[in-house]
Amino acid sequence: MLRDRGRRYKRHIRYVWVPQDKPCWGTMIHVRHLTKHYADLKRGKIFALGGVSFDALPGQIYGLLGPNGAGKTTVLRILSTVLRPSQGSASVNGYDVATQPSMVRHQIGFMSANTAVYDRMTAWEMVEYFGRLYGLAAEPLRARMEDLFTRLQMNEIRDVLGAKMSTGMKQKVSIARAIVHDPPVLIFDEATSGLDVLVARALLKTVAELRDHGKCIVFSTHIMREAEKLCDRIAIMHRGHILAEGSLGELCDRHEERDLEELFFRLILRHDETHEADRVPSQPVLSQPS
Amino acid sequence: MKWSNIRLILVREIRDQLRDRRTLFMIAVLPLVLYPLLGMSFFQIAQFMREHAIRVLVVGAPDNPALPPLVEKDRFANNLFADPATAQLLQLTLRPLESPDRGAEHDPLARARREMQQGNYEVVVYFPSNFVSQFGRFHRSLLQHQGAADEGPGPESDLTIPRVEIFPNLSKDASKAAHRRVADVLDRWREEIGRQNLKDSQLPATAAKPFEITTLDVAEEGQHKAAAWSKILPFVLLIWALTGAFYPAIDLCAGEKERGTLETLLSSPAERIEIVWGKLLTIMIFSMATAILNLASLAITGSFILSQLPQLPEFGPPPGLAIVWLLTALVPVSALFSALCLALAAFARSTKEGQYYLMPLVLITMPLTILPMSPGVELSLGNSLIPVTGVVLLLRAMLEGNYMTALPFIPPVVAVTLGCCWLAIRWATNQFNSEAVLFRESERWDVGLWVKHLLRDREATPSFGEAMFCGVLILMIRFFMSFSLDVGNLATAAAVTQLVVVATPALLMTVMLTRSPAQTLLLRRPPLAAALGAVLLAVALHPAINVLHVVVNYLYPLDGRLAEQLKAMSAGLDNMWVMVLVLAVLPGICEELAFRGFILSGFRRLGHKWTAIVLSSIFFGASHALFQQSLIACLLGAVLGFLAIQSGSLLPGVLFHIVHNVLALLVSQVTPALADEHHWLHWLMRSASDEGQLYHWPVVVGSLLAGIAILAWFHRLPYARTPEESLQEAIEHQSAHWMPN
Repeated sequence: MLRDRGRRYKRHIRYVWVPQDKPCWGTMIHVRHLTKHYADLKRGKIFALGGVSFDALPGQIYGLLGPNGAGKTTVLRILSTVLRPSQGSASVNGYDVATQPSMVRHQIGFMSANTAVYDRMTAWEMVEYFGRLYGLAAEPLRARMEDLFTRLQMNEIRDVLGAKMSTGMKQKVSIARAIVHDPPVLIFDEATSGLDVLVARALLKTVAELRDHGKCIVFSTHIMREAEKLCDRIAIMHRGHILAEGSLGELCDRHEERDLEELFFRLILRHDETHEADRVPSQPVLSQPS
Repeated sequence: MKWSNIRLILVREIRDQLRDRRTLFMIAVLPLVLYPLLGMSFFQIAQFMREHAIRVLVVGAPDNPALPPLVEKDRFANNLFADPATAQLLQLTLRPLESPDRGAEHDPLARARREMQQGNYEVVVYFPSNFVSQFGRFHRSLLQHQGAADEGPGPESDLTIPRVEIFPNLSKDASKAAHRRVADVLDRWREEIGRQNLKDSQLPATAAKPFEITTLDVAEEGQHKAAAWSKILPFVLLIWALTGAFYPAIDLCAGEKERGTLETLLSSPAERIEIVWGKLLTIMIFSMATAILNLASLAITGSFILSQLPQLPEFGPPPGLAIVWLLTALVPVSALFSALCLALAAFARSTKEGQYYLMPLVLITMPLTILPMSPGVELSLGNSLIPVTGVVLLLRAMLEGNYMTALPFIPPVVAVTLGCCWLAIRWATNQFNSEAVLFRESERWDVGLWVKHLLRDREATPSFGEAMFCGVLILMIRFFMSFSLDVGNLATAAAVTQLVVVATPALLMTVMLTRSPAQTLLLRRPPLAAALGAVLLAVALHPAINVLHVVVNYLYPLDGRLAEQLKAMSAGLDNMWVMVLVLAVLPGICEELAFRGFILSGFRRLGHKWTAIVLSSIFFGASHALFQQSLIACLLGAVLGFLAIQSGSLLPGVLFHIVHNVLALLVSQVTPALADEHHWLHWLMRSASDEGQLYHWPVVVGSLLAGIAILAWFHRLPYARTPEESLQEAIEHQSAHWMPN
């Protein structure tokens, strides 16, 4: 079984050579010193990411855990080439996100709370449309879609327009749309936000199955339990930085905490305190009375 | 760019729009229903549009048997109307004259004004109390005059003619119309009296009408029809092409952002340019469909209505050939409007915001569409260069069948329209490449904050927007300065223009808005070979540019008065060194600093070398006063931009510019006498009667080949790319070399 899985994902692996920072053999996502800043009229340059680095391997779910505004969506948008990095580098299956965006997009399936389904297209039409955009030929695409619609139990909504779908149905269509071309990398950004417990549970099950099929998955969330249950490695993000990174066990051992939630709060509080201290202007030294 | 992806996006967007009830209503239902409904309303309203009776106050109407009758019962006499049936439309109130001793409040003018302000009458006719007696004296004098003429000189006679006064209120349309009718009646009455006077003087009636005027319309059958339709159809075509682009553009951009599907598409393998083209073609198709359906519906309804109105024989169904011209013009017009709508709609975050952004486009387009309908606006070189207006005028000329008149203006109209299209498409593509546009958050905009941001967050080179602003600023200052400069003094005018209008804005903006003036203005030492190559290139290209001047002047001849003015201006400059300084050295430095320095650096931030070169050369061309100069300057601007980028320095461009201008000055000074004095000039040039001195063809061809060789050498130079150009090149390289299955 394990050998089977290995054979499936090995065909996606490429050897990548990046001059400044060499990724390991088999690394699917390689991010180094990724920085993103925006111009703000009032505050000047705002750093959404301040030098993020991590690697993700095939058959692994890499979790980005952080509060709102931590920079998770920015990282994932850069990986999906929707945004361009200001500095640093990121590559997906050996392709650079800044200079080879088209190739990167063929390697990924991207699903987020911001990637909606078309209101005036049926489920079948939408998945077919993206399959064609990914360059799949008509017959293989049809076979793939039949398989996907059966596996994701979507045959009932095949001819339902997007506007008439429930949130759960839309999420299923989004997943089908993201994996129709069988990409080696899948990116899920806050995929369970706004879903009820049943639909969220089904979605997490699907993500786990995809991991078992050898996909490299980047999964961002702010829900501790999801990260604990699902992720093989977790990066805790806050204010554009990764505060800690490792497997759940490694993180708890390293920081001597019992669970992820405690660790999360401790790291974030410590980071905020440090930065608040940095921000306090130095007080003038008053002459002490003798 | 893969056409299969564009086709996929196009098909999806069309299907999506066809499933939208609002779009279907705008494109298909509205045109089919609008014109028949308007036609029905027209017939309904026409019932109420009969001419209303006009109330006329006649004060002191003469009642004398010596005069032909003016008033019969309570109307003007029937024989005073071209159509006696309209006599009843003038409802008269007859009032006798007031006694002159009743005071100032009974002044006829004051009373008439008061009565008319109260709305009692539309017009007042006043016959003075002495009208009849004065007419009697005039009549008698006329007869005596006739008798005296027969018998020789007699006593002095009184030929003072009596006067009738009409008091209308010309600020009101009803009163204006009443004035016209009453004046017609009085004209006819006067003619009647004139005829009677001639009869009494024993002269034939033709004595006062020595000849007849007959008007013979030479217009061929169908020309009236074409002229009438040529005013309506282009207007309808343009307005509906814009309206048809408006709603799909908002739905496809702002609507997708609002619904959250744009990010889905952006993360797909479709490239931004493919998305732009897919959406653009969709908008264009809907824009064209709206215009065609509206035109068809208008033509069918119009033909039906006009067939019911026999009193309008010059109208009839539109000429068949009109359809061909309209459809031909529709393609570029729809492309232009679609690209503009797409770029504006891409900036909007919601459909509501999209409507705010697109409304100014409608407000700008309307006057440009209506302008050609104004009397006296004809197809000319100047008008043909105005976007939209040029198309309407050209279309009008074609619809009227004036093909030979229209022919010379086809190139400028097509060039301007396609140029605008290209710019709009580039703009739309840039909007889709800009994160600031696609993921724009609502932010409070404040002028103070914005200025602070510009100064605080300066980058090494200017942004695209700053370069664009600089170009527009130079054009605007130049426009306003042209009214205040004394063109009689060419040296001062040229020097002020270069220093104040061109160089100062660019230098000020460089200092204030960039961190690295040297990088912005390309102030680097170039390789010696590049500097030398630029000088040689200017010399090599000069004969070809000389020929180009002749061709441009032949195609678009200078206005005679303007040519005289230019000659007079250049005659004022007799010092060669001053000429070289103000017409060659100063432009060579100032224009290069502005157009190849600040503006080109800003445009290079787009990441496309040639787009930057073309845009900067358009601004360079537009900054020249004459259209003929602008065309050549545009071409030279492209060469200068290419030199600046390839050499990485401004200096080769400056040298090229100075040498080119000096050569042009020198050639303009060559006269046949001078050529005879220096025989070697005959090897290079020949005298042409109108164009002055022209190079021999072998010289032109040979030097042009040399110029191309030098340009090829510059092309092989490894030039310094901006980060944006490097990134774009890498992206294009991956697109070109990696085609997924």
